[in-house]
This record gives sequence, structure tokens and C-alpha cells, in this order.
Amino acid sequence: MIKLTGVSKIYATGTPAVRNLNLHIGAGDFVSIVGQSGTGKTTLVKMLIAEEKPNKGTIEIGGWDITKINSSDIPYLRRQIGVVFQDYKLLPQRTVYENIAFALEVAGEKKHRIHQVVPQVLEIVNLSHKADSYPFQLSGGEQQRTAIARSLVHRPKIIVADEPTGNLDSINTEEVISILKKINEFGTTIILVTHNREVVNHLRRRVVTMHAGEIISDEHDGKYKL
Amino acid sequence: MLSFLRILKFAFQDLWRNFSLSFMTVFILVLMLLSVNTLWSLDVLTKQAVEAVKKQIDVSIYFVPQATDKNVNEIKAYVEMFPEVVDIKLQSKADVLASFREQHKLQKEALDALDELGANPFGPTMVIKTREPKDYKKIIEALDVPEYESIIEAKSFDNHEDAIERLQNITNRIERIGFGLTVLFALISFLIIFNTIRVAITTQRVEISIKRLVGANNWFIRGPYLIESVFFTIASVVCTIGLVYLALRWIDPYLAVVLPNGFSLTNYFYSNMLMLFGVQALAVLLLTVTSSALAMRKQLKV
Repeated sequence: MIKLTGVSKIYATGTPAVRNLNLHIGAGDFVSIVGQSGTGKTTLVKMLIAEEKPNKGTIEIGGWDITKINSSDIPYLRRQIGVVFQDYKLLPQRTVYENIAFALEVAGEKKHRIHQVVPQVLEIVNLSHKADSYPFQLSGGEQQRTAIARSLVHRPKIIVADEPTGNLDSINTEEVISILKKINEFGTTIILVTHNREVVNHLRRRVVTMHAGEIISDEHDGKYKL
Repeated sequence: MLSFLRILKFAFQDLWRNFSLSFMTVFILVLMLLSVNTLWSLDVLTKQAVEAVKKQIDVSIYFVPQATDKNVNEIKAYVEMFPEVVDIKLQSKADVLASFREQHKLQKEALDALDELGANPFGPTMVIKTREPKDYKKIIEALDVPEYESIIEAKSFDNHEDAIERLQNITNRIERIGFGLTVLFALISFLIIFNTIRVAITTQRVEISIKRLVGANNWFIRGPYLIESVFFTIASVVCTIGLVYLALRWIDPYLAVVLPNGFSLTNYFYSNMLMLFGVQALAVLLLTVTSSALAMRKQLKV
């Protein structure tokens, strides 16, 4: 599903972000990527959604080498990978429904399809009753669940969650993680980038540990080591 | 078609939800257009005033009383050959006498003196008008030849020469200053509008990056801003037309007193409306589209 081969990224400032990454993530996997700040986790996420290009190596997603992707194809890649960020990245002047619908609208989906899909994903994240609320009217957990609902609308095979619980309390964290687990049960690959020791240890899934831009361990049924 | 309708929907949503910013952008554009129209009106008024003064300037050639019709017609034909000449009016000896009597009908002494003479002491007069005041010199020089010395008694142009030169200098200076001011103003307006739109887009930087992250292509992001640019253009030009119309209706009665021939700035704007506001609309559209394209270029690299 996702294959990184000898991937290195050095920023224009000369700072190496990741070095010689080799990683294979299979379809339906739930992988936690852990590591201290500045170890290259976010750079890895950015490379997966083609926000950054590696200086060396290749990244294949479903057999598609995205290191050679044209800028005009990037929107199509991003519609196939659901992304969830720590700061939710919701459009502040659109309602929950509109935020989710927007991801379908930009893909040219027809109105009746949007009316069909949006309530479904709202149901999955238990936010049907908040459809007409604006982001500022929601709690952090509700905002994050909105972001997860938005990431689901294209029925992506992969969801990348970059510190999705970073701004949440323990109850909301649990809720968000249980939603991700539920999505994973439907067969979607989940890549969870997190600092949260409890979450990782509780999950008991595959854990990839990064340090100074390199992968230092990759364990199935792993634990938070750092 | 579906995408276009959505872009249109997003554009109007953004305009409404960022109402204060949209209002400010249109407000500044209207201010800029009002200033341009003020300069334009001043230019038109200056030209009208100069034309009015020019029309009052002519050169009169006074012939000696002995000059025959043949002499006069020969000189008239010669003067008519100059392309600078736009009009020639001839007054016969009798006309000049009649005109003199009319002008001095209350001055008995003058009329008695005329009667004393018995014969008509006046020669014919030729009144010449040229396209430009500077052309009079050429006509005078052309008539200043020995063969006409015995026929032409006097030329009245000398009296106007200084006034014409001064007028010419003032006109040229006003045109130069007006052009300089227009260029300066256009530059300042460009900078103001560019920054206003840049601020508008910078405030929406996060939104643009989110749109990119959920898979919107460049046109889906640019589209609403382009539609907004068109809206800003239409709104500002329509507001300006309304305000200019009201201002002209107010100022026209005052102008009618100052300028002869019933010149009306309202009528001038009516008859040149398409050109005047068409050019302004195009300029504003170019300005807003360029500004938003430049301001967005950086944001689209997400």
C-alpha cells in the first residue's frame, strides 16, 4: 500500500529532516509513528500528501510513485488520502456540514451525492446534531471529529492523522481514537503520528519509532519506548 | 458547469461573510475612480475654456478704402489656401460703414464727422480664424509682402499676440501637470488596491491552505477571487457612475454661467459614457485581477 525506499529530506536551510527511511505499510494496517519533536514525523506526513518532496528515494502509494507527481495531480492524491491535523484545519466561516461538503464539492461531486455522503460521515463521528454549527461553536473534540468526518468523505484507503489528540483532553482523545479504530475496522489504513504514550500503549498495534530523522524501531504490537 | 456554479457560490459566500473587507475594497476603488473622474473633468473643462478663449481670438485685416473687390478676393483666395485657416468673413465697405454707424449711433460728433467727409472712408475688412492661435503668425507673415502693402492698411493681430502666447503656455503647462498628476495618482491607487487585496487574501491564507489540503485544484481556489475581482469592478464602477452623475447635475448650472455655448459636463459624460467608464472598468478589472493573482501566487504553493 505505502512503500518508502531510501527517503531523505533536507530543507533549504541545510537541516536534514529525515534520513534514509525505509518503511512498508500494508493495506488495513494501523501504524503509530512516535518520536520526540523534530524527529521528522511531520515531514514524513507532509511527504505522504505531497506537501514536501523528498531529496532522495521514492514514496509509492498504491503503486503510484508520488515523488514524481505533477502539481496538477496533487489535488487528486489528496482526495485519496484523508488527513487529520492537530489544529483541525476547518474553514472557520463554514458550518460543520459545509466543511465536510466542501471536500466533495471541490472534487466535482453532484449535489445529491453530497446530501447522501455528508450525513453518513456525520453519523460515523456522532455529529449529526451539530451539522449547522460553526467551528467556533464546537469543542476541540467535536472539531477534530468534524475533521475526521471530512477526511472520510472520499472513502479513502489511507488516513493520516498528525497529532489528532494533541489539543484534546483524555475523554475526547479516547473518543477520537475509538473513531479511528472503527474506521480501521472497515479496512482503511491508519497512520497515526502521536506523542501520546497512553494512546500508543493502549492501542497495542504496530509502532514505528523515529529519532533524529531515522527509524530506530518498528514493532508489531509495540509500545511507546522513548 | 457545476464547478463554475460552485465557484460562483463560494465567491458570493466569501463576499458576504467578509462584508467589511469587501466594503472597504469597493470604497477605496470608488475613491480612486472619483479622483480619476475629477481629473478627467478638469481636463475637459480646461480644454473647453481654452477653446472658448481661442474662439474669441481672430485676426482682422483692414484694407485701404481704395481696395477693389478684385484685390480683396485675390487675398481671400490666397489666405484660403492655408490649411490652418478654418473661417474667413468678409465685410464690404458698406457693411463696415453700417457697422460703424450702428456702434456710434449715440455719438453725434462721430456721425457728423462722417457725414462731413461725404464719401465712405472705410475700406473692406477680412476676419480670419485659424485652428490654433499660433497659426496666426504664419498668416500675418504670409500677408506681410510688398505687393500687399498698398492694399492692406492694418492687421489687428499684433494686439493679441502676447495673450495668445500666454494662453498657449498656460494650456501646455496645465496639460503637463494634469498628466503628471494622473500618472502619480494611478500609481498610488495601484499600491493601495494591491495592498488591500493582498491583506484580504493574507487573512484567508489559512483557508486557502485548507482548501489545498482537501484536494481543491488551483482554479477552485483562484476562481472565487477572480469572481470577487469582477464583482469589485462592477460595484465600484456602478457606484462611481451614480456619484459622478449626481455631482455633475449639481455642478452643471454653475458651469453654464462660466462657459459659453451651453456646454454641459453631464452631456459630455453621457455622450462619452461607454468609452469613459469602459476604460475605467477595464483598468480596475486589470488592477484587481493582477493584484489578487500576485497576492495568491505565494499562497498557492502549499
